[in-house]
Amino acid sequence: MRSRSGLVGVEVGRPLLPAASRRGYCVTRVSQMAEIQLADVFVEMADTLVDDFDVIDFLHVLTERCVQLLGISAAGLLLTDGHDTLQLVAASSERTRLLELFQLQTDQGPCVDCFRTGQPVSVDDLPAAGRWPRFTAAATEVGFAAVHALPMRLRSEVIGALNFFDTSTGALDEGKIRIGQALADVATIGLLQQRAIHRSGVLTEQLQTALSSRILIEQAKGILAERLQLDVAEAFAVLRSDARNHNRRLSDLAQAIVGGTEQVPPATKPSRRS
Amino acid sequence: MNADRIRLWSLVVEHAQGEPVTVEHVCAVALSAAGVDHAAVAVALSASPRETMYASDRVAAELEELALTLGEGPGVDAFTGGPALVADLTAPDFLARWPVFAPAALDAGVRAVFALPLQVGGIRLGVLDLYRAEPGELDRERLADALVLADTACALLLDVAPRHDRPGPNGAWPEQAGSPHPEVHQATGMITVQLGVSLAVALIRLRAYAYAHDRRLRDVAADVVARRLRFDPDAGTGQDRGG
Repeated sequence: MRSRSGLVGVEVGRPLLPAASRRGYCVTRVSQMAEIQLADVFVEMADTLVDDFDVIDFLHVLTERCVQLLGISAAGLLLTDGHDTLQLVAASSERTRLLELFQLQTDQGPCVDCFRTGQPVSVDDLPAAGRWPRFTAAATEVGFAAVHALPMRLRSEVIGALNFFDTSTGALDEGKIRIGQALADVATIGLLQQRAIHRSGVLTEQLQTALSSRILIEQAKGILAERLQLDVAEAFAVLRSDARNHNRRLSDLAQAIVGGTEQVPPATKPSRRS
Repeated sequence: MNADRIRLWSLVVEHAQGEPVTVEHVCAVALSAAGVDHAAVAVALSASPRETMYASDRVAAELEELALTLGEGPGVDAFTGGPALVADLTAPDFLARWPVFAPAALDAGVRAVFALPLQVGGIRLGVLDLYRAEPGELDRERLADALVLADTACALLLDVAPRHDRPGPNGAWPEQAGSPHPEVHQATGMITVQLGVSLAVALIRLRAYAYAHDRRLRDVAADVVARRLRFDPDAGTGQDRGG
């Protein structure tokens, strides 16, 4: 069992440390505040990585932290399936239209370019850039003006990309890009878990497992959405809060729901995250 | 479909020589693509015990039979867990884990076993077992190819009628079983509840609907998720909800 101090035990938007640890920070300036949060997030990530954790939940929280730390509108994480194709495994929000936008990038867009070249791709003003017409049209329609993609690297290999959207135009400053890249690296480490990558097949196997977990969670979301008459984003919030309340791994609960061995959490609408 | 999927599917179709494509042809391609000596597909739907659906030869058939009888072996582990990739069965760990299966496989001249689950999230259809006389790992490209073939086997098992003789609406059959489009899996979960059936049956129905209406799987799934389309247990097919 994972300890409650682990990553998933933390409420979104709340301070991560107990009040005592924060004593003395009350008059902190905004710039220092950002640093404190950054430190907290890395403590939180490290705390999770040494524990028995759920990889999809971990990546999901990581994308949420990207949004909070970098002041962007949305973040998503795409992984290769081992065949040069990207698939979405986690996003800061499960809204259907956002997921579609991330998924669209498996065909064209900054994420694919980032994945192919292994280099960060930053587009400060999407319509003005005049690249990727289909992706630009879809992103603009949802209200996004800027997009950034950072590579997830393992030695010489690129295994995916961390993707940010923003509703306002403008570049991410150097400091934020470095933080973003560090979070992308943490995500890579999380994916590989504690296993040493000495066998050539392990990476492929791990990626396959992560993609398979994601499918399982989508199936469980569908079951909950239909039973509770929620939309799929709300169903995810129910699934996740139930897993947290009972200190269970997200994929274990999803497996129990899918396997019919567990009934659905109480039919209450989630109060946060729509 | 990316280039690798198209290449492997073309090989599978080539092996079928005009006949309906089955897991037999997938196994035939797996032998060359993964560089192994024997291959088998074992299926286990919840209602029936695990059984061998196809074995490439006598060795594969015997090892499948043995795994079934003993309830041990890489294929048994892969059925409930993730891929079981065994580079060398003589390693003490593996001899300890499969005390009867491992020596028997070695006697049959098999040193390496690569067992891949036939799985779509929570749907577990069976396992693709690959056996090789030479010890050693399956290199990255071969493993990636084998995983695509496992997905192809899943798709064939899910598409009940033999109908992969013409291109579908997405230009190439069959639709990937582990679709990258999340709405396909969300819709599968929703249909499970609507029809009161297993996830596997729900996915079979969803795929059949898309095929019958000559539409892409993801488009039909998006209609289900948006509640524009509902599967009705009393009717043969999905019910359009009008607007």
